This record gives sequence, structure tokens and C-alpha cells, in this order.
Amino acid sequence: MPGHDADGSAPEAGALAGMLAKVTGEPASWARQVSAGSRLEGDLLLDSLEVAALAGLLSQAYGDRVDLLGFLAGLGIDQLIELTVGDVAAYVARSLADLQ
Amino acid sequence: MSRFLFVVPPLAGHINPALSVAHAVAGRGHEVAWAGSEKFLRPLAGQSATIYRTGLRLYRPQGERGFTALKSLWESYLIPLARFTLPAVDTAVAEFQPDVLVVDQHAVAGAVIARKHGLRWATLAPTMMELARPYRSMPQVTAWLNGLLAGLCSGAGVTPFDPLFSPHLVLSFLTEALTTGLPVPDGVVMAGPVFGGRPAGPEFPWEQLDPGRKKVLVTVGTLATDIAADFYARMTEALEPLAGRVQAILVGAPGGPAVGPGILALPRVPLLDLMPHLDAVVSHGGINTVCEALSHGVPLLLAPIRHDQPVVAAQVSAAGAGLRVHFSRARPDELRSALAEIIWKRKFRTASSRIMRSFVAAGGAGTAAEHLERVAAAPASVPEG
Repeated sequence: MPGHDADGSAPEAGALAGMLAKVTGEPASWARQVSAGSRLEGDLLLDSLEVAALAGLLSQAYGDRVDLLGFLAGLGIDQLIELTVGDVAAYVARSLADLQ
Repeated sequence: MSRFLFVVPPLAGHINPALSVAHAVAGRGHEVAWAGSEKFLRPLAGQSATIYRTGLRLYRPQGERGFTALKSLWESYLIPLARFTLPAVDTAVAEFQPDVLVVDQHAVAGAVIARKHGLRWATLAPTMMELARPYRSMPQVTAWLNGLLAGLCSGAGVTPFDPLFSPHLVLSFLTEALTTGLPVPDGVVMAGPVFGGRPAGPEFPWEQLDPGRKKVLVTVGTLATDIAADFYARMTEALEPLAGRVQAILVGAPGGPAVGPGILALPRVPLLDLMPHLDAVVSHGGINTVCEALSHGVPLLLAPIRHDQPVVAAQVSAAGAGLRVHFSRARPDELRSALAEIIWKRKFRTASSRIMRSFVAAGGAGTAAEHLERVAAAPASVPEG
């Protein structure tokens, strides 16, 4: 999946799927079907509270430089509709790369 | 005496509060007319109502949520509806000669025509959508909507302005008890929920209500029938073990009318007449149902789908008058335990009653009518173009 940082500190697909399972309360079998191409809204049916919870988990895991809600605030409506797990992973990887 | 033209979209949740306000305005001796779909309005407003027909375009949301639903609401429905109804609203203004246009926040054509003729207009805000602006932290989304509205104005020969908020009056049917923390613009009049002036509800088999059990009403409104079946199935499973203690009234559930030991399933019910009998309401968070429940101190279990419903659910939950669950994800055991909490933990009803008292204090339709009279009495503004 996109978003792997060179030093391996960016989220693995599994780590992000795990966080998504945590914020949705879904079981591991659900998380296994989450892929880089899964859309947060259209496929995973994340609501705004779950997105906010995911943002919280990401900044807990990677620090305040990973500001998912700040990233989303800069997107247009079509980008928000089409936002995938891969896009989130890529954003996290970029934020961590910027730190170095 | 003044003349008020109500401009409404063909959406029951928008027309119902407008009917109550119109009823209060007419009761004070003013003349009222409507611009909207006659097919929708006639059965509700009555045979004697003056209706300027705009034609009918139906809203079909098709299971969308979040930004997908927001985009389709404006691009595929509200903006085309406004373009389609502009000429008819213009004709209504020419024929009825209103002193004030009373414009539903989502019947944008009314605002554009008022502006075009320099007429005073008031905004009716029957939802939480524009007051809460859940996308307010997203400048590109705000710019997208402003662009759509500006295009509509320009197409009608009017310099772009904000057609969602009248500078003369914005009436909301909420109170501060439900809007804590929301970026409600200054000057919005919180009249509280409005009742009265609506036709009697459908028949109800009152003899079937069991006085020995708690009563819960389950409804997901009229616009979610496409995705409701799965929710009703999980809710029915949640209710089964409670059947000895809880009687459920399922409204509009697929499969048609049915009467089981724990469940009364009906296509329609007289919601307002039922409220005093209820111990809880399970809903998608449609603002009208929610405020009708809160007006009777009934606590809520909310499973929001789209638009302002997630905000409504969050506000009700923050006020302590209910709990929020995920519409698609909540499993039967989760629904059951949340429902049991709402029914048997006193604090939810206490909080709901607190909101009820704020509604009574706000004055409802009488307050709304007073403010509309004030707009009618103000000096006229300058026509544009």
C-alpha cells in the first residue's frame, strides 16, 4: 500500500486497519478486508466521530505532527468523498518525513 | 394586515413547521399564500389555502452519507430545484404582491426572487444543517457551496448574496439547549419547535397499546427507506428479548403492517398524539421527530444517517437526553443495551424534560409570528437590478 516511509516508521496497512477497527468497534475479520483502496466514507462508512477518533489515535501513535483533521480541512469535497485508507497512510508518511 | 408568501421545498420535514408558522400568522389576521408543490402542499395546507404551483421535483437520497450526501443534496437537488422553481416563485410574487417572503432555507429560489424585487424576506431554518455547518472547518467545501449559490444568483440576474441567511430575520425552531457549542450566527431567533396548523394524523389502534409495558417508537423517517430494512432487522432482533417489558411501535418498517407480541408495525402513526404515551424514541435523528420527542420529555436513541443528523445526535447526546449509535454498524446487543439505558435510567428523561421546558419558554409559533410581523412593519429595502 502507498505511504511506506523509507525508515519504516509510517503506518503499515495492518496498523491503520487496526486503528480503523478500534474506532469502529468492528472485529478483526472486518479489518482484514480493509485495503489501501478502501474509501473512508463510501466503503468503510466512517462517520465524523469515527474520523475524529482515528485522528486521535494517529496523533497518539505518531505525535502531534500527524494532524489528520488539519489535513482533511485542506481538501475539496470530491477529494473528501474519494479519500482512501491509502491517502491517509500517504499523508502520515509525508508528515513523518517532514519531521526529519 | 400584511401579506406573507411562504416558499417551501417538497419535503415534509420542512413543510410541517412552515404550516404551523403560517397558521399562527393567519391567526393574527394576516394573509398567507404558498409557493411550492401543490401535490405536497394541498393535503397539508387544506382546500382553502392559496397555493402558487411550482411543480414537483422529488428528493431521492439513495443511501448516501457524509460529503457524498452533501454534494448530491446541493448539486443534484437543491440548486436544480431552485432553478426550476424561480419562474413560478416570480409569478407568485407578481400575483400575490406579498409584503414579506417567508423562505425555507433550502427553497433558495424564494430568497433570490425576494432579492431581485427588493422585497423583505425571512429565512425559516427547520434543520440544523446550515446553523451547524458541519463542514465549517473546511474552506474548500464552503467555497464549493458558495460557488453553487453564486452561480444560481447570477443566472437569475441577481448579484450574488447569501440566500441561506436573510439579513431581515432567521427563524430557527431550536433553542440554546440544543445548540450549545454550534457556530449559530448572531441574530438567529430561536423560537423553539412549532406545532399547530397541521392536519390530523392517521388512525391508530389505541386499544393495542399495552399499559403494562414500556413503549418505544422506532422510525427512520420517510427518506431512508432504501437503507432502513437492515436497521429495522437489527432493531427487531434487539427488541425480541425485551418483549415482556417493552412494546415497540415500528413506523414504516418494510414488510407492511404486523402485530407481534412485542411489536406493532404500522406504515404511519399520529406521532404527536403518541408522544405522551412513549418512554423512548429510536430515530435516525430527523430534527422534527427529535424535537417532537423532546417537546414531550421523551429521551432518544439516535442512529444518524446523513446531513444534519450526526450533529443532531451529537447535540442530543451532549445535552444528556439520549444516546447515539452508528446507523449501519450498531449490532442488536449494542442497540438493546443502549435502549435499556434510555428507558430505565432516569437521567435521560430528566435531561429531555429540561429541553422541553426551554421549548415552552421559547414560545414556538407565536414567537415566530411576532418576529415576522416585525419584519412586515419595517421600512422597505431597495430593489436590485
